[in-house]
Amino acid sequence: MAWIAFLMFGVVVLVLLAGYPVAFVLAGTALLFALVGSLAGVFDPVFLETMPNRIYGIMNNGTLIAVPLFVFMGVTLERARIAEDLLETLSMLMGRLRAGLGIAVVAVGTLMAASTGIVGATVITMGLLSLPTMLRRGYDPGVATGTITAAGTLGQIIPPSIILVLLGDVLASAYQQAQLNNGIFRPATVSVGDLFVGALIPGLMLVGLYIIYLLLTAWLRPATMPAWRDDAAALPMAALVPRVLAALLPALLLIFAVLGSIILGVATPTEAAGVGALGALVLAIVRRQMTMSRLGEIARSTTRFTSMVFLILVGASMFSLVFRGYGGDTAIQELLTGLPGGKVTALIVVMAVLFLMGFVLDFIEIIFIVVPIVGPVLLAMDVDPVWLGIMIAINLQTSFLTPPFGFALFYLRGVAPPSVRTKDIYMGVIPFILIQLLALALVAVWPQLATWLPSQL
Amino acid sequence: MNTTKLPAAERSPFALRLERINRLIGRTIAWLTLVMVLVTVVVVVQRYWFANGSIRLQESITFMHAAVFMLAAAYTLAAGDHVRVDIYYSTMQPRAKAIVDIAGTLCLLMPFCAFLIWSSWDYVGTSWQIEETSQESSGLPYPFPAVLKSFMPLAAALLFLQGIVILLDCYRVLAHRNSAASETRQ
Repeated sequence: MAWIAFLMFGVVVLVLLAGYPVAFVLAGTALLFALVGSLAGVFDPVFLETMPNRIYGIMNNGTLIAVPLFVFMGVTLERARIAEDLLETLSMLMGRLRAGLGIAVVAVGTLMAASTGIVGATVITMGLLSLPTMLRRGYDPGVATGTITAAGTLGQIIPPSIILVLLGDVLASAYQQAQLNNGIFRPATVSVGDLFVGALIPGLMLVGLYIIYLLLTAWLRPATMPAWRDDAAALPMAALVPRVLAALLPALLLIFAVLGSIILGVATPTEAAGVGALGALVLAIVRRQMTMSRLGEIARSTTRFTSMVFLILVGASMFSLVFRGYGGDTAIQELLTGLPGGKVTALIVVMAVLFLMGFVLDFIEIIFIVVPIVGPVLLAMDVDPVWLGIMIAINLQTSFLTPPFGFALFYLRGVAPPSVRTKDIYMGVIPFILIQLLALALVAVWPQLATWLPSQL
Repeated sequence: MNTTKLPAAERSPFALRLERINRLIGRTIAWLTLVMVLVTVVVVVQRYWFANGSIRLQESITFMHAAVFMLAAAYTLAAGDHVRVDIYYSTMQPRAKAIVDIAGTLCLLMPFCAFLIWSSWDYVGTSWQIEETSQESSGLPYPFPAVLKSFMPLAAALLFLQGIVILLDCYRVLAHRNSAASETRQ
């Protein structure tokens, strides 16, 4: 009956496109398939009875508590307007160079990635602040929007990323299951911390590739990203550098404290997130950006984001339960293990499927739906879990960038002036998608990029 | 703000009242995120400086976390923050959006909520009956684990209520357009 599982997958994608909230489409469609299947005698209703226990498992999942704490920290830093300050001062500093503004955007995107990790917030902030400046300075709209959207998605890969927490949790249980299936009853583990450490080099490599691309473009097509010669308005260097440092240092300190404690193994991601959130609050208070009403807004934003993520997890859990009930996971396993070429082909197929799904679905949904199904199969074929996780993360970063349904593109469209055509945004992001695929290929060919650092600690 | 963007004056008073319950619960429960941050810091300080972590405090973080995302799910729905694949939805007319929302609520959301209440009923009931405590001996006492499990049917019930709000709102959108259309015809 595995074909029904695949039919259900197709139906879910179609129903999703109608636009009802993802969490309920996943849960509701799976439920309908289970009910009809039970009536027709092709689905064992006993599967459904395990649902409360599965949800209770999500409620009790200790790893995932890091998510609301990191979100709290990110939202607080966002409201403390640190990114705004940074972008403003860094742009003044670097705007005099060719491609300077673009590199400033990538730099701020990197820092925001390491502090907030929320794609929407980063893209909107930079779209509101940098895009008008870049356009005014004569930047090509495609180059400008492509840089902003791509830099905005760095938050997915550069730790501490919320996505990596979710991915780490899903991979951990997939890894455990893979080893149990292989008859290893004292399984090795993979943690969110491992993923964070593993993501560090590939994440920075990606930043480097973005910057190289910008420099190359500035060199080959200077008209697309001119330098800014409006010296009258510019502040002298001596005044600018302290302002940059004042904006930069507190945020950097916080990031290093949070990341450092996780990487050195002093704190778990959850603990680091909690302390980081408190640090962000203190920072916001010191910067006089905190009021009671703003604190309430932060708490409510955090709550809605958290609830959104975990309800998708609940919905996806229902979906994968019914998918398994119809034998879909066994079919996938046979499919992947039966491929000629062993684990290499299996990996390529999975990566291609993830990339294609990214055109329609978003990172979180794909992680929750696909990884529990294909993860155990790949890991049982002796694929390194950190390597796999980083490749998935780099791959799915494109889900925010690929038209027609890239979140980053939508966010930017929402704040971009009408003079920027949607076509510019779509075209501008293509080079960055290619860079992303290049980075994926590099990590695929040299797994050490992801696995070396974790093995050193 | 609601999913239909209907002005408050045009929404049914009953829908507004139902939604107010969910908003009140959501806005109240949201403060738990701040408490979670503070308690996490306390646990960290205990662990590293006094070398003893309180299991009760740790479990209370889990408890608050579950309370936040389960009980605020309906509030998040009311705020329109449950993510949609809105490539087509965002370009639809209000009427078409209302039809999608009615169909989704009736066929997907409400059945799932009903299923969750039905399937978790015994699961939760047993927990209350046996006066379940935490699996850790120094963990949270009865009735915390039972309350935690009760969040499941409770969240489903709140989502169901919000589903009723969506139906009422969307009905208004459709009825409003119909009457507007018939008025112009006269």
